[in-house]
Amino acid sequence: MNEGRLKSLLLVIGGIVTFLVPLTPFFYMVLTGLSEHHDFLSADKSFVFTLSHFHAVLASESSHFMAFVRNTLIVSAASAVISVCIASMAAYAVTRLSFRGKMAFMLVILALSMFPPISLVGYLFKLMSGLGWINTYQALVFPYVAWTLPLSLWILVSYFSNIPRDLDRAGLVDGCSRLQILIKVIFPVAAPGIFSTALLSFIFAFNEFMFALMLTTDYSARTIPVGIALFEGLHGQIPWGEIMAAATMTTIPVVILALIFQRRIIQGLTRGAVKG
Amino acid sequence: MDRVKRKNITLWISRRSTTFSESFQATRFLAPLFLFVALFILLPVMGSFVDSLFLDVTFRQRKFVFFENFEQLFRDPAFWGAFRFTCLFALVSVPVETFLGLMIALVINERFPGRDLLRACVLIPWAIPATVSGRIFELIYNYSFGAANYLLEALLITEEPVNWLGTEMEAFFALVAADAWKTTPFCAIILLSGLSAIPEDLYQQARIDRANFAQRFFRLTLPLLKPVVIVVLIFRTIEALRIFDLVFVLTGGGPGGATNSLSLYAFGYFSAGDFGYASACSVVLFIVAFAFSWIFLKVGRFQREAI
Repeated sequence: MNEGRLKSLLLVIGGIVTFLVPLTPFFYMVLTGLSEHHDFLSADKSFVFTLSHFHAVLASESSHFMAFVRNTLIVSAASAVISVCIASMAAYAVTRLSFRGKMAFMLVILALSMFPPISLVGYLFKLMSGLGWINTYQALVFPYVAWTLPLSLWILVSYFSNIPRDLDRAGLVDGCSRLQILIKVIFPVAAPGIFSTALLSFIFAFNEFMFALMLTTDYSARTIPVGIALFEGLHGQIPWGEIMAAATMTTIPVVILALIFQRRIIQGLTRGAVKG
Repeated sequence: MDRVKRKNITLWISRRSTTFSESFQATRFLAPLFLFVALFILLPVMGSFVDSLFLDVTFRQRKFVFFENFEQLFRDPAFWGAFRFTCLFALVSVPVETFLGLMIALVINERFPGRDLLRACVLIPWAIPATVSGRIFELIYNYSFGAANYLLEALLITEEPVNWLGTEMEAFFALVAADAWKTTPFCAIILLSGLSAIPEDLYQQARIDRANFAQRFFRLTLPLLKPVVIVVLIFRTIEALRIFDLVFVLTGGGPGGATNSLSLYAFGYFSAGDFGYASACSVVLFIVAFAFSWIFLKVGRFQREAI
């Protein structure tokens, strides 16, 4: 009985800490974005509510925040969709067809995801320069697709291998081609898994920084992470209010995604990692 | 759970003999993946290995110089500084994050009202771009008006404000703390999956055997969780060795190069157009990352045999 009480006490304390620590920096971020003075914690300043920073970020020509948002959404969505399509074809082959060296293939793909991105960035820059793709969407989408494929493949293989094979045998008997089976039989059944995978690929592409920094030069293809990292004021001072307003607007959709799809994200992450 | 599943997959593979038409079909289904991976991962990595042996500076004649880049690299104290920082950062941050992640996983594994909301909150730092969290922490660590110094002074822990990003030691721990805030959720989620895979009967049995809280944790939970812990350690170490985004935003490698990471060091030379030298540095990081994961795999296997 005593032990049970100690446990629930620990649980309550742990729960409060687990709740406060991740969220406090976000409150600080939102408050700074909404405060007229970024140094409102100082003794001689106080918090004065204003929306001017949000307005400045959205309205000013020089911040290009909306361009960053558009670029990021296009690049991330394209990468996620392409990555999931390619990975599900490969996952179908891995779980439904027999070929030599399957385990070796899966392990090599896993090892690829362990390469440090700095090893790729120089060559990618040369490649994209050669193609004249620097500062375009495709310069980011192609590397992002390749970079998310190992994780996508591992997650989808774990989902696909749980789908009963009788389902696709029935399809084969009905005279469907393999590709038709994948699209008409597997996709609907594995929809939750495919969605988790796409979501994780999307989040990855949304957050990626190093490639985007190297392969873009201005707002016509630059993504939010780069935009926020390089956000500078016009007058040399760091415009904290505007940076935090931009950071808040970046974080809100992520918070909504996390709240709605918490289960999906956790499931996807778990399948991708623990299998390794 | 996973072991059983993997066995099923293997069984299913071996039950059928490879026919030519199936291999052909498989090749077709795997072709797009091969193409992308080969063009945008394998080729670039091989390219960086080749480039590291060349004098390869923009607007200059490319010349084969063998190991000259590496010789130059190993003579540069700034490189060794970055090497030291990168290894130290991984060695300090990964155990901290894994430990905190385990604590969080233990909390969100219990059943209580609002658990799903708490899990979602835990996810948020992981899901935002590292440059955004870097900017937030840059503000928190600000010398004159940041929340960190405000909090320390309000709680009367320090009288003088701490120069978080301007002094070597403080900058290192500031980076570890900011990184822990961002990546502990990942550790927690992976460890949570390991925890929830431990059958409830085992705990019931342990209770019947009168094992107390601590005994149940150290004799039951930890040993069963060990494979998952090793997975987390490997994944996190590989990521920590890559550290780039956070350092770029928070300290830019400063003060005086004290928090320069190998990725940041190499990136500086890449953006300056010195591809050969930068590639040499990326090759070193590549080897370090593989050495670390190899050690973990060895240690992990060794411990599993010892049990």
